[in-house]
Amino acid sequence: MDSRLLDILVDSFPKILIPGLTVTLPLTAIAFSIAMVIAVAAALAQFARVPVITQICRLYIWIFRGTPLLVQLFVVFFGMPKIGITIAPFPAAVIVFSLNEGAYCAETVRAALESVPSGQLEAGLCAGLSYLQTMRRIILPQAMRTAFPPLSNSLIAMVKDTSLAANITVVEMLRATEQINARVYEPLALYIEVGLIYLLFSTVLTWLQRVGEKRLGAYENRGV
Amino acid sequence: MLLRVENVHKSFGALEVLRGVELSVDKGDVVAILGPSGSGKTTLLRCVNFLERADEGILTFDGERFDLARMSKRDAARLRKKTAFVFQSYNLFLNKTALENVTEGLITGRRIPKGSAVDAARRALDKVGMLDRADHYPSQLSGGQQQRTAIARAIAAQPEIVYFDEPTSALDPELTGEVLSVMRQLAEEGMTMLVVTHELGFARTVSSQVVFMEGGVVVEAGPSRQIFEAPRQARTRAFLQTDQA
Ligand SMILES: Nc1ncnc2c1ncn2[C@@H]1O[C@H](COP(=O)(O)OP(=O)(O)OP(=O)(O)O)[C@@H](O)[C@H]1O
Ligand SMILES: [Mg+2]
Repeated sequence: MDSRLLDILVDSFPKILIPGLTVTLPLTAIAFSIAMVIAVAAALAQFARVPVITQICRLYIWIFRGTPLLVQLFVVFFGMPKIGITIAPFPAAVIVFSLNEGAYCAETVRAALESVPSGQLEAGLCAGLSYLQTMRRIILPQAMRTAFPPLSNSLIAMVKDTSLAANITVVEMLRATEQINARVYEPLALYIEVGLIYLLFSTVLTWLQRVGEKRLGAYENRGV
Repeated sequence: MLLRVENVHKSFGALEVLRGVELSVDKGDVVAILGPSGSGKTTLLRCVNFLERADEGILTFDGERFDLARMSKRDAARLRKKTAFVFQSYNLFLNKTALENVTEGLITGRRIPKGSAVDAARRALDKVGMLDRADHYPSQLSGGQQQRTAIARAIAAQPEIVYFDEPTSALDPELTGEVLSVMRQLAEEGMTMLVVTHELGFARTVSSQVVFMEGGVVVEAGPSRQIFEAPRQARTRAFLQTDQA
């Protein structure tokens, strides 16, 4: 490797990593947290078959799962100003990623709720708990245990998908890399470098998923 | 009289499962419900504890009358706090230890302070011989241990009646005995119990009353001695004979 290329890589590393830490990760964390709230609420409403709200949830999930994420970003960032709603790049990305991820995760959580044996709800009611108490104390914790691996998957996918926000001028890792590349033109090395940083982030999250599964899994382990 | 149901009707689609069932339970009674598979025994218990909504029927509980077809959620919840249900498949809360399974209904459901709830739960677990397994999760317990824990969960809040739906039929024969002996002990202590069972030996020796159901109606009911020794209906006689053979 010639020394110019090495210099570029070393020099660019913090310039890519810092937007990763200050933009990519916060965008992921904020949007995923909001998505979880949406997902659990939408899944519970559908599980309990709350009239009207169930239909609204279905419509929402249908739209956000059925259209490309990039199109959603463009509609909100480039389209909305046409009707007088201008949103800065980062908040626009937060809104779109939250809604998009919320739609997918709502289905994950709903499936997990439905996988809890119906006897658990009946046992809760017969033990003197209300429907809501049974949901909160018995059904939801079991469903979240089931949903944990697929939700972790979604989170890891989302870290990478935030690179799409580059298209609406959010200076996250990919856009930061593009900016450096525009100056030095070393696309192969620089894009591999940013790819490796994404890989690093995903690896840490995968490891956290394992730790989390171990903790949550306590009640499933046979033996002792 | 603690509990009385009259004229209970329930259909699933075109299938008429209960066709005017009538039954009563006095305080301290152990009533066994016998009958062939598909006769509607489980459905009856589920209607009585509102897990299934009857199409028609009157429930009298502790002097209060309710229309089973129009039971409000509030009344259902209130009555459920005075009763308990032991399921064929145990249905222990899978995310809770044996102790937590028992305390959950006390602390969350009945707002009993944690300290006294834990004391009551430990007494109940002790009674069913599960105190040494209090910290185990259901997946770490045998079927018999799970069912005994479920019985502890049922009795901890001192219900006025406990409903049992074939509490031993998911168990191996060796494990059946440990559950039946716990139930026998409860009966001796005067617990009011309504028990759907295929264990004729248990019904004969423990229950004070027997109700024989077939085709969604009560064919015959009476003191268990009379039903076993001198059944009046031919159907009852036939059932007791074939089942004992
Ligand atoms: N949720 C349901 N939907 C449709 N049919 C049902 C439902 N529950 C019960 N049934 C039917 O009702 C009839 C009576 O069922 P039930 O479980 O009450 O009988 P059982 O007397 O408890 O029988 P077993 O001794 O086998 O437990 C059966 O034909 C059963 O298939
Ligand atoms: Mg049954």
